Amino acid sequence: MIRNVSRSLDQLDPSEEWAAWKPAKADPFDARWAGHLYRRAGFGHTPVELTAAVADGLDKTLERMHAPARTTPKLPAVPETMGPTFRNFELRAEWLKRMLAGHEPIRERLTLFWHNHFATSIARIQDATLMQRQNDLIRKHALGKFGPFLRDMSRDAAMLLWLDSNQNVKAHPNENYAREVMELFSLGVGNYKEKDIQEAARAFTGWHVSTPGDGERRFEFKKQEHDFGRKTVLGQTGEWDGDDIIRILLEQPACARFLVRKLYAFLFNEGATPPDKLIEPLAIELRASDYDIGKLVDRMLRSRHFFSEHAYRKNIKSPIEFCVGASRVFGTGATGSVVMSPFALIGALELQGQQPYQPPNVKGWEGGKAWLNTATVLARHNFTYDLCNGGKSLNEEVARVTGQGFVPFVDPLLLYRRARLETAGEVVAFYGNLLLPGDLNPEIARKLTAYIEKDDPPNALFEQRCRDAMHAMITLPEYQLN
Amino acid sequence: MLNRREMLKRSTLLAAAPLVPGFVINTARAAEGQTETVLVILEMTGGNDGLNTVAPYKDDAYQKARKALRLDANNGVKFTDELVLNPGFRSLERMVQQGQVAVVQGVGYPNPDRSHFESMDRWQAGEPGPKVGGTGWLARSVPDLQKGADGGVPVMHIGSEKLPLACRGTTQGIFSINQQQPFELKLGTPNSGAEAARRRLIEDVAQSSPSAEANDLLPFVQKRQLQTYMSVDRLKEVLKENGNQPMNGQQANSLYMKMDLVTRLIQRGFGTRVFYLAIDGFDTHSGQAPAHQALLQQIGDACSNMFARLQQSGDDKRVLFMTYSEFGRRVQENASAGTDHGSAGNMLVVGPGARGGPVGKHPSLTDLNDGDLKHHTDFRQVYATLLDGWLKVDSKTVLNGKFEHVPLLKG
Repeated sequence: MIRNVSRSLDQLDPSEEWAAWKPAKADPFDARWAGHLYRRAGFGHTPVELTAAVADGLDKTLERMHAPARTTPKLPAVPETMGPTFRNFELRAEWLKRMLAGHEPIRERLTLFWHNHFATSIARIQDATLMQRQNDLIRKHALGKFGPFLRDMSRDAAMLLWLDSNQNVKAHPNENYAREVMELFSLGVGNYKEKDIQEAARAFTGWHVSTPGDGERRFEFKKQEHDFGRKTVLGQTGEWDGDDIIRILLEQPACARFLVRKLYAFLFNEGATPPDKLIEPLAIELRASDYDIGKLVDRMLRSRHFFSEHAYRKNIKSPIEFCVGASRVFGTGATGSVVMSPFALIGALELQGQQPYQPPNVKGWEGGKAWLNTATVLARHNFTYDLCNGGKSLNEEVARVTGQGFVPFVDPLLLYRRARLETAGEVVAFYGNLLLPGDLNPEIARKLTAYIEKDDPPNALFEQRCRDAMHAMITLPEYQLN
Repeated sequence: MLNRREMLKRSTLLAAAPLVPGFVINTARAAEGQTETVLVILEMTGGNDGLNTVAPYKDDAYQKARKALRLDANNGVKFTDELVLNPGFRSLERMVQQGQVAVVQGVGYPNPDRSHFESMDRWQAGEPGPKVGGTGWLARSVPDLQKGADGGVPVMHIGSEKLPLACRGTTQGIFSINQQQPFELKLGTPNSGAEAARRRLIEDVAQSSPSAEANDLLPFVQKRQLQTYMSVDRLKEVLKENGNQPMNGQQANSLYMKMDLVTRLIQRGFGTRVFYLAIDGFDTHSGQAPAHQALLQQIGDACSNMFARLQQSGDDKRVLFMTYSEFGRRVQENASAGTDHGSAGNMLVVGPGARGGPVGKHPSLTDLNDGDLKHHTDFRQVYATLLDGWLKVDSKTVLNGKFEHVPLLKG
C-alpha cells in the first residue's frame, strides 16, 4: 500500500525541481499553497495572514515572512512571588510567544530547527539564563553563515556544559563534544574515523565554562589545560585548536550534504531519502556561498519541489506545530493578531511530548511517527477540545502557572460572529478554509454540515455544534499532517 | 514522468476515494503488543529493611544485631538453607519453590547518601552521583520502548502521587493513571447524549479521510487515532471492572487493587511495557516488625495474585515484577525495636522469567561501612540487565555507559 517515495524522487530532474516556481493562472498561489508555506516556513497562518497571502502572491508573502519584528513580544508582568521554578515556565513562554506572534516566522522556524540540531536540554543545564542565551545565539545565526554559527555554538556555555567540555583537559581528553560536532552537528556518521574524534578532542581541550560564583557562566579558554601539540584530523596536520577543527569540518563536502539533507527533512519530507543527485546541486551551492543558510532556505522555499506533492503534507505535525498552529487560527483577537497566552500551551506540549528547551537527548526529538501514540493523540484531542470551547480550562492552567489568568479568553466563535455567517454550510466552508485550506474532503464537509444543522441558528445549541465541528476538523487525520 | 498538472492533482488530499481501508481499522482493533515483555516496578518508599526482608538467619552477626527483630526458620518463609523471607511473603512461597523469585543481594551505589530524597533521586535518575539531572531512567527508555509498543503508552504510572522522577523528562508516552484521573477523551459531560454524539462525529469523520492513495502517512495517523479511541474505551472498561472487583478485604487505593488494574491492562493487550507503582511506609524507625510485615504482605499478596491471574490468561511468562527502595537499613537495630537509615539493600525480581534464588552473595555483616552493609552490585547493573535482557532497550543510551549484567534472568 505504501508508495515508494524514494523511487519517485529518483525519477526527478534536479534542475527542474530546484527551479523557482512561477505561479500561473492555471497553477496559482492559492490558499492551499499559502497554507503549506505558512505551515512549513512558519508555525501556521492566522486568518488575516492567509487572506493577505492569497491576495498578494508568493513573492510578497515571503518578503513579509522575513520582515523583522518591530517590537519584541513582551510577556505580561508576573508577580514577583512566583519564585525561581517559574523562570523555567517563563523561558518557554517567551519563545512560544514569538512563535504565536508570527514575527519573522521563517527565522523563528529555523530557530526551532537549530534547537533540535544542537539539541541541549534544560533538564541537565538547570539554568534558564544560559538556555535563553543559547536561544538568542541560535536566533541570531539561524539564517546566517554556518561557520560563525558553529564557532559561536562551540563556545556557548550551555552547550559546553551539556557535552562535558569542562572535563576535556590535556591530560585526559573528553571526546563528547568532538564526537557530537562531527556526528550530529556537521558531518554525520560514516564521514570520519574514531581517530579523527580523538585528535579533535585534543584540539578542543581547555575550551571551558567559567565556574559559577564568578558571575554568569561564560566561555573561557584555559590555556594550561589546552593541548598545543600537533594533531591530524581528516587528513590535515597542524597545531590545531577548536576553530581550526571547525574550518576543517566545513571544508568537507560531506558537511554541506549533511546540512542540506537535514534541512530537506525539516522543510520537505522527513520520511524520504532523496537521491544524491537531488541533494548535490544545493550542497555545491551551499559550499560556494560560504555556507549561507539563509540563501539555501530561500532557494528551497521558492522551488517547484517545495510546491509539489513531494513536500505537501509529508510530515506529521510536531506538538509545537500542532498547538501553535491551531492557536494561531483560534487564538486571534479583534485586531486579527494572536491574543492566546503562551502559558496555555506549556502543559499541553508536555503531554504531547515536546517541551521546548527539553529535547530528550543530544540527537533531538525523534519526530515523525514517534509523535503519535495513544497518550499523545489523546492529549492533542483534549487540548483541541479546550481550545474550541473557549479555553476556560487552558485559562485555569495559565492561572495555575502564573498566578493570574489571561484576558480575553480565546473564543473561536468570535471569527464566526464577525464573519456574519448564517447557514451551517457557510460555517463549515469558512472554518474548513481556515483550518484545512483546500483539503476539506466534501464528504466530511457534508457530515459536519449535517451535524450542525440538527439545531437552528442563532442559538447556543447551534453555536455549540459549530464548536464541535471545529473540534472534529482539528482531530482529522489530515490536520495532523504538516 | 508525471507532468506538473497531474502532480498537482495527486498532491491534493481530496483526490482519492473517501473510505478508510479496512485493514487500517482491523489493525487498529487488534490488541497491540500481546507478545511484548512487560516490567512492573514497585518503589518501596522510605528505605526498606533488606535484612528483614530476606534474612541471613543462620549468621551469628545477624542474630546478635537483631535481637528484637530477628527472623528464623520457624517464622520465616524458607528461601535457601541460609536465608528466610519475611513471613509477610507467605503467599510467595509457591513461586519460591518453583524458582520464580530472585533476590539480588548487596545492591547500592558508591558513597551512599542517607537522605531519603537524595538517594531516591539517584535511583530514579539512574545516576549514582550527587546532583542528578532532571530526567528519569524510564523516561530515557521511552524511545526504545515505544518501538515495541505499537502506539500503546510505553510507560504507565499507576497512583495518585505526583509523577515520579523515574518517569519524568520525556512525558511522551508516559501516563499517570488512577481512579481520580482516568485516561479520558474530553468531549463534554461524561455519559451525556451530547458526548456520545461528539464521539460518533469524530470517529465518523476520521474514517472518512482520504486513503493511502493520496498520502501514505494518512493510514498511519488514522490507525493511531482509532487505536486511541479504542484504548480509551478499553481502559474505561478495565477501570470499571477494577472498581467492581471483589475487594478481598482490600482498600480501594491499595497496592492489591492497583496491581489488579495492571493485570487487567496486561491481559487486555494495552501495549504498555513498563508499569510503575509505589508503596510508602518503609521508614520503620520504631516498632518495625508488625508494620514491615504488613507492608510486605501487601506486596506478596498483590504479586502472587497478579501472577496467578496472568498464568490463567497465559500472560505470566512475559511479565516480570521488580522491587527497589532508596536504601537499606542499618545492620544494628535501634533501641525502639526499629532500624535507622542504611545503605546497601536487596531487590526482588519475580516471575517465570526470573532465575529463582539469591543473585550475588549476601554482603558481610561484620565487614561494614560505618555500620552499614557494603554493596557489591551497582543498581545500574540490575537496570542494564532488565533493559537489555528483558525489555530489549539499549541500556547504554539510557544509563550513559555499559554495565555488567547480573544473572537474574532465565535462559
